[in-house]
Amino acid sequence: MTVKIEVVAGGIPHTKIMVAGLLASLVCLYLSYLNVVTKTEMFSFFGGLAVVAALLWGSHTIKVLCSYGIGTGVPSAGMIAFGSGVIGMLLATKFGIAAPIVALVLAAVIGLIIGYLSNDVLNMKIPTMVKSLTELAVVGAFTLMGFAVLMTGSFTFANLTSGSVTFLGQVMPSFQVSFIGGSLIATAFMLGAIAIQHPFNACLGPGWTQDRMLMLAAECGFLSMIVAAFMSFALITSGSALISLIVALVGWGYTYSEYMKLGKRDAAAWLDSKPIPDVEEH
Amino acid sequence: MTAVAAKPAAGAAMNPTAMAIGLVLMLVIIGACWKIAPGLGLMALIGMIIGGVLIGFGTHFVPVGGAPAAMGQAPGIATGVPMLAAGAGLAGLFGGAWAAEQGLVVAVVTGAVGGGLMMAITCMMVSFIYVFGMGIPAASGKVKVDPITGDTQPEFKSQGTEGHGLPFTSFVGGIIGGFLAGGGGTLIYLMLLDLYKATLPGMMNATESQIMPIAISAAGIFAVGMFLVNAVLTAYNITGTIEGPHDPKFKRWPRAVVASAVASALCGFVAILIVVM
Repeated sequence: MTVKIEVVAGGIPHTKIMVAGLLASLVCLYLSYLNVVTKTEMFSFFGGLAVVAALLWGSHTIKVLCSYGIGTGVPSAGMIAFGSGVIGMLLATKFGIAAPIVALVLAAVIGLIIGYLSNDVLNMKIPTMVKSLTELAVVGAFTLMGFAVLMTGSFTFANLTSGSVTFLGQVMPSFQVSFIGGSLIATAFMLGAIAIQHPFNACLGPGWTQDRMLMLAAECGFLSMIVAAFMSFALITSGSALISLIVALVGWGYTYSEYMKLGKRDAAAWLDSKPIPDVEEH
Repeated sequence: MTAVAAKPAAGAAMNPTAMAIGLVLMLVIIGACWKIAPGLGLMALIGMIIGGVLIGFGTHFVPVGGAPAAMGQAPGIATGVPMLAAGAGLAGLFGGAWAAEQGLVVAVVTGAVGGGLMMAITCMMVSFIYVFGMGIPAASGKVKVDPITGDTQPEFKSQGTEGHGLPFTSFVGGIIGGFLAGGGGTLIYLMLLDLYKATLPGMMNATESQIMPIAISAAGIFAVGMFLVNAVLTAYNITGTIEGPHDPKFKRWPRAVVASAVASALCGFVAILIVVM
């Protein structure tokens, strides 16, 4: 006897966002394969774009799930998304070129079982629970894979676990300077987990509007991408990392200004105050 | 009304069919693991299931108040289950990871003590803030008499609230919860670390010392992932807030134990597949 509190009134239907997000992140992940074709690392920024696409989809899924009173707060949904996503994503990286597809299937299976556990074993009885947790696991896996591509330029297990250090002019292989060995994956985990739950957590309420929340999701995605692009300087060539950084900065600047516009549109009133008020002379 | 104001509707009833299906699923996964990776892999999986169950069971002890507690309208620590469990469990996990070289028992106990200590500090600071900052006494809304100290509760409870502050039993429950969850998280980490240390050198053609960063990092991130999955499943079970072991919601733990066992088996199996495939 769960009561749905909010309905998605108007706006883009969820199915459309889901299909668009899924396709966009898959395509972006595969576009990063241009790195292998052209033997450069210039196309790593497509990983960041995959992150943004997946986060847009994920934040809307969280909205659909959390519209039912799950009673645990919105952040828990982000945490379980990445908890189940990271497990599927790491195994999927072993499948080489098929990794994104395998991540999709594997994360969906894990999410499906966890959704079943929460809905039936734990008796949550929420109609979209199974579907939402399945989607969230895929979003988690795609986001982490996107960050992996952004930081290392590749999504295969071998490239994620080995890097190289230059010591006294000599290039030496090192497992420590890598996405997994250097524990960059832990940072990517939290960057994604916070970015996915924040948009709905910040925008929920009677004044919720879809375009504002999705714009905030994109903004969070680009903001995470900036940080990840900085980290990528350690693992890929500086030029390629710079491209990622510029893409991230431009994307963040655009989405931030758009979000501010939407925020002003939805606000009851707006007062432009300054951080430090001018002190009047007496 | 918004989603935050909505009361969860999940009942306390058990669903025997679903639990049976879950247990069968777990046995199937254990069987598959026995087929693919007997010996070390199977042992790791069993250890991870025990660890997951400890996390799921332990989280029930932690007094979680959520947003109502922050407003002084419900007893417990004023945040959600995932945050508290992550705080206590990960503190324990890190503590246990430092002691990983000293053997399983020492490391798991270190992790458990780390988790318990983290919760003890959290509960104490929360009590300070409640009493001296917000000016509210500790009073349970679920029981008439504190089960441990025997202090009566209703006299101190404000009207219109479900109790407030952090009663003594909740404090003790928090420490027990942190102890169990920290130990469980450390157990998962150690099981994966042992497995990866044994299998990764052969898989990647490198010496054990070379692959240590990979083994530690991969085991750590898997442990964090499984920890969060188990903690959130428990959060779904208690639907948000719980006062501690004296809360009627505590009786729901069998559901969470089954769910945690199945989820840990599934996630652990995937984590094992990464080195045996």
